[in-house]
Amino acid sequence: MVIEPLSHFHGGLVLRHHKKKSCEKETRSAGLPESLVIAIKSNRGAAPRLLVEIGDRVLKGQIIAKPEHIMGSYSHAPTSGEVIDISNLPSASPDAIPALCVTLKPDGKDQWSEPTRLKKPESRQEIIDQIRAAGIVGLGGAGFPTHIKYYQAPFSDSAGNKNSTIIINGAECEPYISCDERLMLDHPHEIIIGTQWLIKAADAADAIIAIEDNIGGVKKRLMAEIKKQEITNMTVVKVPTIYPTGGEKQLVKVLTGKEVPSDQTPYSLGVIMQNVATAKAVYDAIELHKPLIERVVTVTGDSVQDPQNYLTLIGTPFSHLLALAHCSDSVDKLIIGGPMMGYAMPNAEIGIEKTTNCLLALPEDCTKPEIAPMPCIRCGDCVKVCPQELLPQQLLWYINGNDQTNDLEKARDHHVFDCIECGACSWVCPSHINLVDFYRFAKSELVYLDTKKAKSEQAQKRFEDREARLERIKAERQAKRRSKTSKLTDKSSAKVEISAVLARIKKQTEESADE
Amino acid sequence: MNKTLNTSSAPHIPSRIKVQTVMLWVCLALVPATFAHLYYFGPGILIQLVLAAVSAYLFEWWCLKWRKQPIKPFITDLSALVTAWLFVLCISPIAPWYVAVVGMFFAIVVAKHLYGGLGNNIFNPAMVAFAVILIAFPQSMSLWLPPGGFMDVGAIGNQQGLTFIEQLNWIFTGHTTSHIDAITTATPLSAIQTGLQQSFSLSEIIENPIFGDFGGLGWEWIANWLFLGGAFLLYKRIITWHIPAAVLLTTIAAATPFYLFNNDVFMSPQQHVFSGGIMLAAFFIATDPTSGCSSFKGKIIFGAGVAILTVLIRNFGAFPDGVAFAVLLMNMSAPLIDRVTVPTPYGKKTKGD
Ligand code: SF4
Ligand code: SF4
Repeated sequence: MVIEPLSHFHGGLVLRHHKKKSCEKETRSAGLPESLVIAIKSNRGAAPRLLVEIGDRVLKGQIIAKPEHIMGSYSHAPTSGEVIDISNLPSASPDAIPALCVTLKPDGKDQWSEPTRLKKPESRQEIIDQIRAAGIVGLGGAGFPTHIKYYQAPFSDSAGNKNSTIIINGAECEPYISCDERLMLDHPHEIIIGTQWLIKAADAADAIIAIEDNIGGVKKRLMAEIKKQEITNMTVVKVPTIYPTGGEKQLVKVLTGKEVPSDQTPYSLGVIMQNVATAKAVYDAIELHKPLIERVVTVTGDSVQDPQNYLTLIGTPFSHLLALAHCSDSVDKLIIGGPMMGYAMPNAEIGIEKTTNCLLALPEDCTKPEIAPMPCIRCGDCVKVCPQELLPQQLLWYINGNDQTNDLEKARDHHVFDCIECGACSWVCPSHINLVDFYRFAKSELVYLDTKKAKSEQAQKRFEDREARLERIKAERQAKRRSKTSKLTDKSSAKVEISAVLARIKKQTEESADE
Repeated sequence: MNKTLNTSSAPHIPSRIKVQTVMLWVCLALVPATFAHLYYFGPGILIQLVLAAVSAYLFEWWCLKWRKQPIKPFITDLSALVTAWLFVLCISPIAPWYVAVVGMFFAIVVAKHLYGGLGNNIFNPAMVAFAVILIAFPQSMSLWLPPGGFMDVGAIGNQQGLTFIEQLNWIFTGHTTSHIDAITTATPLSAIQTGLQQSFSLSEIIENPIFGDFGGLGWEWIANWLFLGGAFLLYKRIITWHIPAAVLLTTIAAATPFYLFNNDVFMSPQQHVFSGGIMLAAFFIATDPTSGCSSFKGKIIFGAGVAILTVLIRNFGAFPDGVAFAVLLMNMSAPLIDRVTVPTPYGKKTKGD
């Protein structure tokens, strides 16, 4: 499926990597923190059902929340201990949006629950079920439940040829983050086997592992492993290190030369994309019967003295990791993810989630802009770098209300919904305008207006339906009445009709006289 | 770690380039051409530059105060200097002092601040100023010095040129001890226009020594250095190739048929390119992003439009050089061009495919 030579996407940035310091050291275990704060996430409004209560003792690997919906995912206890709190707390998501969190006090025994000795899956459905049961979600950041991607598979043409591809995304293009690179160095075997299971789950033709061309040694290790396993339908491809090459749409373009249609997923091109850490989690689930209870997290940033990758239990508070890596007091921003797209956290007591790949602690001199925002001078630098080929300055113009009508619809016409919020435009803007902020605002505002409009349209429709109903009933009544009077206008039938009425009246008066 | 953390949104590392830096590069790119100007036409350009810059900044300061805008960030952004500089490169180096002042009034107060200040102007301020001057003081713009050596500007044959003091005197008082009328001359483009009006043929007109090898003596070198400055901006990625290429190639394409049709009245393509304001427009004026188009396609249309209009005005219009009017006309059309050239984003090109 991969094209030679590789394609490229429009724009993009060359950024300083800042990865080496955290990546050159072996991954260490973050150990047991004093408490774990496990956010129970609901995907698309389908909240999972909690299976524990305050005071319950749980064992490692025990299911603590069960999805009620196909889109949901399982949560497991990362270690043994006691549930000491269940409440809504800030979570490691954008804006630290509160989520239902189970707080677990580890008992230090780290005692496993009786593992359900599943047999190796044979059918596609069995693989998907085991992936689902292990609570695996996309570990690259989006957190989309992995099993869902495979329900639609397999892809095959009428002749039964397999024609879909799994892309394992190892191109972590954001600066500072190195957990995926470290994982590929440490666990090539697990990643390759996990990928093989994914190929089976999708009944795909092949798999491509994409890595950035600036990381040394990884390709060799992965290729050696592929050779050792005698796998023929898997390749490792180096892609140019240009931000945001690890973005789903951009990576698909680079590898296949095709663009993912605007409102669709790579699935429409026969591509399923998965993060390397997800492939490793699939290995753990199927080969080791281990649910997803831990992940590798990069702890780094200029405020951190010992940048390092940590194997971290889900729910570990940030403060625990920051203490391990000797984070200084200079920190101004604590960011989940990378500096380009990550989100800043309000405090360090929030727990690591399955999607948390990096904790980035930056001091003020890294984050503070040199000048206050100026008006847009329309220099067009943002247009040059936008990987989605948008006109960021025009979007700004319309969102900012420069247009007389103050019409966000213009922003929609200029494709604001195609913005992937990569931040490249903000990063190059000489006027230091945080453009992405405007696009986030416009998107949420437009979505809000749309729902409002849909609702009022619905109400309008209901009202109109009711009106129409009443109208119809009235019309029917009138029609009936008219049909009666029309009988009267017809002479002969009128006679009959009138005599019938007279007879009735007569009868009635007689009856009343009788009484 | 108990302090309140900063939770502003991504990206978390700020951009390193500033508006100021962009403007500074533009000024630097203008330096070589300014030196060439100095070399061929004498120190007049420096006097004009100081005059225009000082008045530009006074107006800028006044406007910011009056619009209740923060003074410091805007006064230091160097955009007024760029405007003044571009304007000065268009006017005659011995224009009277009020030309620069009036020009800057229209550039800064009218074209820039009345439209909402930095980034909001519809028209290119320098071109507004130049157009106003062309209309208001046409005679001062037709009065140029013949190109000469640096020390004795205007010296042709055994005729004496003007010294620095004499130029200064002329600019500020309109008087000079020597023979200004005897040595001033027309620009090549207006020489051609007056010549043609007097029914000379083009080949006769360009025997005048003010015409150099292909544009006009001195002018062609200024154009060369502008080209170099433009190349520098391309290299620094301040501008993209779209507009310069569109302007220059379209100028050639538009001028050629006329020239082939009748080379007695229509200038040759290279004369078009190397004289007047085309080179300046290609790299420094039509590339002004604020008053231009946003998309790459739009930029090409914009540049081509400037070139075609310039050639038409030069060939048929009442003014010897039409660059200023061409740019202003295209400025007016830019929003419309923008509306029809919104690029198709990723994933929408192959809809349904
Ligand atoms: S980079 Fe900034 S100043 Fe330049 S056009 Fe884009 S928004 Fe405007
Ligand atoms: S944030 Fe949006 S508009 Fe800005 S460069 Fe990225 S995709 Fe383009």
